[in-house]
Amino acid sequence: MSARPLRLRNPYALYLIPGVIAFLAVVIVPFAMNIYFSFTHWQGVGSPTWAGLENYRELMKDSRFWESFRHSVAMVLAMAVIPTAVGLVVAAALFDFIGKHFGSKLASVLRACFYLPQVLPITVAGIVWSWILAPENGSLNELLKAVGLGSLQQDWLGDPKFALYSVMAVMVWVQLGFPVVIFMAGLQRVDPSLYEAAELDGTNWWQRFWHVTLPQIRPEIYVVMLWCTIAALKVFGAVYVLTKGGPADSTIVPSYFSFSTFFEKTDVGYGSAIATVLTLIILALTTVGLRFQTRSEDAQ
Amino acid sequence: MLKVRRPLALAAAALAGAMLITSCGSSDGGAEGDGKTLKLWHYEAPNSAMGIAWNQAIEEFKKTHPGVKVEFEAKGFEQIQKTASMVLNSSNAPDLMEYNKGNATAGLLAKQGLLTDLTPQVTKYGWDKLLSPSVTTTSRYDAKGVMGSGNWYGIPNFGEYTMVYYNKDLFAKNGVKVPTTFNEFEQALAAFKAKGITPLANGGAEYPAHQYLYQLALTKADRSWVDSFELYKGKADFHDAAWTYAANTLSDWVKKGYIAKTSSGAKAEDAGVSFIGGKSPIFFSGSWWYGRFRDENKFQWGSFLFPESKMTLGSGGNLWVVPKNAKNKQLAYDFIDITMKKGIQNTLGNNGGVPVAAEPSAITDPSSKELIENFNKVSDQDGLAFYPDWPVPGFYDVLVSATQKLITGSGTPDQVLDELQKAYDAGAPTS
Repeated sequence: MSARPLRLRNPYALYLIPGVIAFLAVVIVPFAMNIYFSFTHWQGVGSPTWAGLENYRELMKDSRFWESFRHSVAMVLAMAVIPTAVGLVVAAALFDFIGKHFGSKLASVLRACFYLPQVLPITVAGIVWSWILAPENGSLNELLKAVGLGSLQQDWLGDPKFALYSVMAVMVWVQLGFPVVIFMAGLQRVDPSLYEAAELDGTNWWQRFWHVTLPQIRPEIYVVMLWCTIAALKVFGAVYVLTKGGPADSTIVPSYFSFSTFFEKTDVGYGSAIATVLTLIILALTTVGLRFQTRSEDAQ
Repeated sequence: MLKVRRPLALAAAALAGAMLITSCGSSDGGAEGDGKTLKLWHYEAPNSAMGIAWNQAIEEFKKTHPGVKVEFEAKGFEQIQKTASMVLNSSNAPDLMEYNKGNATAGLLAKQGLLTDLTPQVTKYGWDKLLSPSVTTTSRYDAKGVMGSGNWYGIPNFGEYTMVYYNKDLFAKNGVKVPTTFNEFEQALAAFKAKGITPLANGGAEYPAHQYLYQLALTKADRSWVDSFELYKGKADFHDAAWTYAANTLSDWVKKGYIAKTSSGAKAEDAGVSFIGGKSPIFFSGSWWYGRFRDENKFQWGSFLFPESKMTLGSGGNLWVVPKNAKNKQLAYDFIDITMKKGIQNTLGNNGGVPVAAEPSAITDPSSKELIENFNKVSDQDGLAFYPDWPVPGFYDVLVSATQKLITGSGTPDQVLDELQKAYDAGAPTS
């Protein structure tokens, strides 16, 4: 009796195997290892020793950890809230005003200009910004001096009072192009008759923006907010290049804290605990965000 | 008939594949090599003193070992620092590599059994006869990975130390006397400030600032103080006279304008460039700048040891280490021996490095002569006090953060010393 070949209900499932293997190898297995190491004391070499919840208990008491999360909130503001709000206005202005009065070519060029910082490697952008913000001979301070505002000169990245705001400003600049591009794409699919009807009703630009544009591109807003919030919680490169978490920890963020604990302090267990908590927070926020988005879409 | 539940089968297959992938590269325990290849890693720039000397050593090695191939791979400092432990755990370990000295680096690897104990070779080749005691501190590590005693795990070819670099032209132009005492040093700082010049180059975001702090503490310290702090031979008290004086003085120097408040975010490179550019007349930093200053300074300059301080920052340089899993250890020992020979050591000395075993008469360049003489002076009086970030892993970041607080005034000297004490006590080995 010959053995019947194994029949799969969905033969395409086989094609998933390479992707699943890669996902397991690159994401799931290292993540599982990270969780395991977070319950150990380990310096990265030799054998880890089991520590139970000690790293997490330590973390809860660690003022640097909480401070890094407070800075994360600032990063969410700089990388998600502000760019989304400003991006909405910019996208609507480009699409609805510039596009209509000056032609779509100019709108496209301006959109590309806004998107340029997204294309630049963050290390390059960071180094250029550190030159601009340098206390002595930095372009910003020189500019202030040139226009007679020398008294406003600051050590933008070196003074704990200003460093976080400076990094936030750079991140707004970096991030703004992304919502602009997404929202402009979203605006393409809004039925023009809605705007025409609103115009016939005698609405002004702001009223149309508020009552037509915003409700129509709500899905894009959710996606952008979620995407940018996750990016803000994970932010590392910009902080590493601009300030390395300084001065005096005033710009430290969880990912940099985890990195320095791992590699500078060679405290892999503790660094893993930070990374695990950060990942869980991101997963939780993503889940809540997606649920919220689905529910509001269902309600529409 | 075989019945397989589909999702389960897929998951199992995928997991098996993943395990297969992630299990690659495990250690094979360091098989015996063929004696025909020397795999060598280091992270010195080819035009640096070490790079030049070690290239010469490779050529010499090829002559004395015909038929042996040298597989040299240039690495980055960061690359080796961040991945060494993983590489040394694998079968891809080199036969010989340059590595950082100190408890948190070479000490950590030695403690974990990842490095070969070189003690028998040291005796056999007589390397210990060539090195002064304070240079060898960083070569030896005990079972806890603490430097200063125990077996030999690394051999340094060069030394390093800190000094006061000064711009002779700026001193002359502003009528400032070159100081020989600490009092005169502070008078010189005040004289420059009076002329509207910030005298000291500084980088608060990296090591220069905390090297100023440590040097100020060292003016009030002795060997046993250093041993307590660096080797845990006693209690390190950050509120003692030396540290208190250092924090207060550094804070005071900022207030008086000797160090720019705006230097808190500056990097070491910025500090060096401000000296090279003739902006800052004085820069207290390490011998690693010497060659570059010699090449790039467009003015007359000189250096002197920090006035009225028997001790200064410095140590033996980075180490040659032989990984436990090295396949051709004998070749590695032979290469180390060549780098300790007079010819290579003299090359090091004539190219702006600080050799540990050169012939003084063979050093022909006058500025190199001064550099080496000063090192020998410090080394002979047992004045090498290592670096402040060594005792505790991650202490570098703590020191940067603490000195930034002093510079920006966001922390008082007392608060800063508290912070240092807390981090030190948390990281220093107990018992």
